Amino acid sequence: MTARSSAKSKAMIQDNTRCIGCRACMVACKSWNDRPADHTDFFAGPGYQNPRDLDANNYTLITFNEIVTGARPDWVFGRQLCMHCEQPACASACPTTALRKTELGPVVFDKNRCIGCRACMQACPFLIPKYDYENRAPLIHKCTFCADRIEAGLKPACATVCPTSAISFGDRDDMIAEAKRRIATAPGTYIPHIYGLDEVGGTSVLHLSSVPFEQIGYVTGLPNTPMPDLTHRWLRVTPHFFALLYAVFAALTWITHRRSHKQVDGDQGKTA
Amino acid sequence: MNWRIRLTRWDFALMAVTAVGVGLAVVRYAAGIGSVANINNAYPWGWWVGYGIMMMIALGGVGFTITGLVEVLGVHRYHSLLRPAVLMGLLCYSGAIVMLMVELGRPWMVWMILVSWAPTAALYEVGWCAFLYLNVLLFEFAMVPLEQLGWGRLVRVMRVVYMPLMLLGVTLSHLHQSSLGTLMTLIPHKVNVLWWSDLLPLLFLFSAIMVGPALAILEYLCAARWLGFEPRMDMIASLARIEAWLVGLFLIFQLGDLVARGAVDAMLSGTWFALSFWAEIGFGLALPLVLLMMPEVRQSRRALAVACGLVIAGVLLHRLNVTVIGLRVRHWETYVPSLGEIGITIGITAGAMFVFGVLARILPIHEELASTPVSERRAAAPAGALRGAPGVS
Repeated sequence: MTARSSAKSKAMIQDNTRCIGCRACMVACKSWNDRPADHTDFFAGPGYQNPRDLDANNYTLITFNEIVTGARPDWVFGRQLCMHCEQPACASACPTTALRKTELGPVVFDKNRCIGCRACMQACPFLIPKYDYENRAPLIHKCTFCADRIEAGLKPACATVCPTSAISFGDRDDMIAEAKRRIATAPGTYIPHIYGLDEVGGTSVLHLSSVPFEQIGYVTGLPNTPMPDLTHRWLRVTPHFFALLYAVFAALTWITHRRSHKQVDGDQGKTA
Repeated sequence: MNWRIRLTRWDFALMAVTAVGVGLAVVRYAAGIGSVANINNAYPWGWWVGYGIMMMIALGGVGFTITGLVEVLGVHRYHSLLRPAVLMGLLCYSGAIVMLMVELGRPWMVWMILVSWAPTAALYEVGWCAFLYLNVLLFEFAMVPLEQLGWGRLVRVMRVVYMPLMLLGVTLSHLHQSSLGTLMTLIPHKVNVLWWSDLLPLLFLFSAIMVGPALAILEYLCAARWLGFEPRMDMIASLARIEAWLVGLFLIFQLGDLVARGAVDAMLSGTWFALSFWAEIGFGLALPLVLLMMPEVRQSRRALAVACGLVIAGVLLHRLNVTVIGLRVRHWETYVPSLGEIGITIGITAGAMFVFGVLARILPIHEELASTPVSERRAAAPAGALRGAPGVS
């Protein structure tokens, strides 16, 4: 179901310290993925971004977080998009393999296999897959890592348009080295944590930040082990359990029926 | 076969409720899930999965529980519960399938599970096992009408393969009842610590086994009242004793698991989660346990029905706590089921009850209503009658 990252595997750095909140990435994403514009409303915190959250029409989102740094409040930006896990929970939960991890890194969705069970939405630790509930033939919607562009040797749409180089794209090994280099060379700018390096066993999107990630709307406290491990340890023994239980029940049935037959014979002998 | 039954006002009431559910389902298909349901991006499953799938399948566990008790463990004392249990199982699984057809976003694609290979997905295993088991239930139950319709030769052939298929059904049930729990082990970040456990598969399997006899007893008492036969209280009371053991062991299992995981603090916190947990433990396990341990209760039709009803309600609350109530994603995101969601599930439940009531009057489901003595009927009873079945022993 899932190909672990190969040597060819690509990754993206989202360097939030370089983000100016222009949201060009959101626009580029919408236009490449052919998503319609939304009418949005103001809402009361946390965050002041627009729209509030990812949805079926928005595969990526810059979050606006008002954070007190030093003496005064300041905007600190964060970004939400599919993390493209090395071992994705969504793909492991999909009963029809409509979601799968490709060799190049993207976790892609095959709409022709989807039955709409929404197990991927339930499973995702980053709360990424969204659904269009109003549609009569709804589909799962999430960032594709522009799998079609990567396949053709291009960068993802968002990485192409970012005016401040907050989004970098390349081989995953190179991106990890680059993220480490940035933290090492400017320890005052970054917190010493690459979000996505170890989370849930590693992801293809790596985030850097100047403030702790929980302050800018990221899901934190995730394990460093892949999520599918949680179900795998039960499911892998299923075939063995099947054979074992069937044999045990068959043996029990044989024993109990032999005994009851004997009893019946005995009773008949008595009455006769 | 007795076609000349008279529909009562209860039948018409159930049909009316079913019709409301059908009407809501029509709206859902015409205008999308969002038109009737409150499920959203943060809570994609909600009441439909919590009640319509999780609870329906748990209740359907009555089929394999009683079949296992009678056929595998050979406790023939409970033989008269077998046919009602298989029919209830069949209707619960059918109800869950109907629910699935409403709940899935693209129900016309559901066959895709059967042509996929997704061994890492708990839902894949649930789908396959439940599909196969539904066929086993259909096979087991079909013998009753087929025999009545005079297809005796076919029934004799079916009896030859009854045994391996019955065992397959019991085995498949153990697998997918536990896999429903496996499904929830994937989201420790969403399920409250009170309910998320590594052992959820075993807790779900155990609770399905526990709810089986409770539903069987409740059905037996209701049937005795409404179909008008004298319940064999000695038989039912002895099953209630077994049920008391099951409830007690489950209580120990659940609390022991909680203590072992170090979640006692959450249990003692004054949150809504803790309240829901105590309701589950108190009214769903502790209270029925006390009731079932009292010989007076086991001999009283009404008290026994109440105790079994509490066990069923407790399992329902447990399933809801694990899949709906105990889930928190982000604090500003909420989910409360809509009347439309609830209406469809009640419609499905009412439909299943209506079909059960009609079939219980048309077909010889309850041995107590049969004109022939019980011992002779047993030899002729196809669903699970192994004694006297040619070629089986």
